[in-house]
Amino acid sequence: MRRLSLGAMALAALPFATPAFAAADGEQITVTGEFIDTWCYFSGVMGGPDAVVGSAHHTCAMWCSAGGIPVGILDPDGTIYMVLKIEGDDNNTGGETILSLASDTVTANGTYYQRDGLNYIVVEEIVENMGIVNENHLDFGTIPGFAIPPGER
Amino acid sequence: MKILVTLGAIALASTASAQDYRFEEGSNARSWNLFAESNATFSGTVVDLTCEVTGDCVDNCGDGARQLGILRASDGVLVNVQKNAQQVFTGGARDLLPFCGQEVDVDGLLLTDEDLGAVNMYLVQFVRPTGSEDWTEANQWQVGWQADNPDWAGDGRWYRRDQDIRAQLDSTGYFGLGLERDAEIKAEVFE
Repeated sequence: MRRLSLGAMALAALPFATPAFAAADGEQITVTGEFIDTWCYFSGVMGGPDAVVGSAHHTCAMWCSAGGIPVGILDPDGTIYMVLKIEGDDNNTGGETILSLASDTVTANGTYYQRDGLNYIVVEEIVENMGIVNENHLDFGTIPGFAIPPGER
Repeated sequence: MKILVTLGAIALASTASAQDYRFEEGSNARSWNLFAESNATFSGTVVDLTCEVTGDCVDNCGDGARQLGILRASDGVLVNVQKNAQQVFTGGARDLLPFCGQEVDVDGLLLTDEDLGAVNMYLVQFVRPTGSEDWTEANQWQVGWQADNPDWAGDGRWYRRDQDIRAQLDSTGYFGLGLERDAEIKAEVFE
């Protein structure tokens, strides 16, 4: 109850364009992982987690990136970092930067934040881009199956 | 005894990890038949996620360029909005942007799958200003996309007509491995 009362007072007192609650201090990290479409990964709407990454899911990852679905970096131990900015570009609902990185595995330096059970990252520098290294198309074909229209198969 | 306690703890943990039913009452959201979904309606403030998490804030929640979240009124949790109501690969920021900084009610689906790290994630289906009787369906993404890209009109789904996606496909192919590999893979996969 005390938390709610303080929160309501804080909201009323704050000027526009400031966080409602005090933003946390970030931690500098280096992470290596794949740029993924987080909706397909977390929801299971297209299948299991192994199917909605890599070359099999590349086209869908671009659709979701262009469609404004949040992008994340999936590291080898399964941790996902929700991407907030990339090298100064704060457009995380679409745009060239995140579209061109779909399915790529990168090593990146950035600032890490944790909030309400989720991990977030502001990528300050992509140190290395290894391209698409998870070639899983022979296991899964394309995910979804209609990713490539019949006329282009 | 120790084994029983351990099994009980595992059972409780398993139950808690599947779904989050705390906000189900009063929800009229449609199921997507997802393993990790639970209906959820709640009130909160529409916020710019980048601003809320890092303190890097801009006017009007980024004018559509930034992901938005909902700072839930009942417990102060920052809910990450992943998806709108449309089944066409579209996020929720466009539908929430008109309510930037405002108190809203939302109805939709929470995703909770602790094995994958999914917690406090949301598919928004309906939104209204708190106090209003009238819900708006969160299905405006394509309308905004078409308005932003009038030259990309035509038949077919938006993702087939989006010229930024088309340019990537023309450059690196459907599997992202280059056009030569793409042709080889297609021959193998669709033989």
